[in-house]
Amino acid sequence: MKTDKLIEMLARGDDPTPQSRSLLRLALTLGAGLAVSVTLLALWLGVRPDIGVAMMPVMMKAAFSAAAAAAALPLAARLMKPGRPLGWRLGAVALFVALAALVSFTALMGEEPGERMRAWTGGGFPWCLVLVPVLGAPTAALLLWLMRAFTPTRLTMAGAAIGAVSGGVGAMAYSMYCPIDSVAFVTTWYVLAIALCAVLGAVIGARVLRW
Amino acid sequence: MADEAHLRALLLKGMAGEAAAHRAFLAEAAALLRGYFRNRLRARPEDAEDLVQETLVALHTRRDSYDPNFPLTAWMYAIARYRLIDFLRRAKHRAHASLDDGLDIGGVDPDYGASDARRDVATLLAKLPEKQRTAIRLVKLEEKSVHEAATETGYSESDIKISIHRGMKTLMRLMGQEHAS
Repeated sequence: MKTDKLIEMLARGDDPTPQSRSLLRLALTLGAGLAVSVTLLALWLGVRPDIGVAMMPVMMKAAFSAAAAAAALPLAARLMKPGRPLGWRLGAVALFVALAALVSFTALMGEEPGERMRAWTGGGFPWCLVLVPVLGAPTAALLLWLMRAFTPTRLTMAGAAIGAVSGGVGAMAYSMYCPIDSVAFVTTWYVLAIALCAVLGAVIGARVLRW
Repeated sequence: MADEAHLRALLLKGMAGEAAAHRAFLAEAAALLRGYFRNRLRARPEDAEDLVQETLVALHTRRDSYDPNFPLTAWMYAIARYRLIDFLRRAKHRAHASLDDGLDIGGVDPDYGASDARRDVATLLAKLPEKQRTAIRLVKLEEKSVHEAATETGYSESDIKISIHRGMKTLMRLMGQEHAS
């Protein structure tokens, strides 16, 4: 078929196209993802038994995780449609990581030298590296599904942004279970867990988001 | 860029329902895209025309992804570049094009006539699901109105519209897959 004929065909008998409402759907999807993650955590791992007295550190950890998700969210939203410059949105992610590293370092310096290692590693395997991605997976699936309804053209970066946002949401839920309240632990290992989610998201997004 | 304001006005009018403006937008976009793809696939002009057609269908079916707060040409070339990368990935001919300069429109080829693609869209239409194919045939090829097509098939008008829209998206996917073979 000649291109001219294809154009005739495309232009004929078409209807007005409304703008898609991406931000509202993004907000609803995030809410749904968080609800699924919290439910999954409550049914599977259970909230930490001392959550009544540990409300303060739990809230702090959840707020930190929410901030991580919020740092990557503008990037994800921007990548839903083609041809829009990213501007400060990559910088926001970098700034969050830099601030987390700074807080981590400051908190460690405030510890007694003998206690530093324990405050940093939490005294065992950092399970958040496994559990945050698992708890973030439902949100990631929902966000990928939403993103497919739009038109991303930078698939790897869109996947990474989705992974980071989902990791933040997963970490919010994980805060209710995680027994370690050391500041340096959270600002290091939560960030690494969320970064791992971003890497997984980049790999999966590059395949799943193709159109 | 002189094209920017003009093309943008055409697309927005087309999105508001003016078929003539939409046709003009697609025709001018086709000329720019032809230049873009021929520059990057110098040795394969038929592949370039395939990509022109594929990108036109993408621009058409994904018009709602244009954000009017940003330049239209950035949107158009982002989609063109995406289709090109997808094509190169499928064809595994990465060496044929430089992918770094998304906004370089290069020399525009004014040669409208030489626009035969290797693949035939009409053949691909036959592969669509029955309902989508019928809707597209009646409205797009036999020039019937959506209302007439609805009466003839017994589907509702919104059914017809949705079938056309889905059918065009399926068509674009089929166009991409053809490259692979």
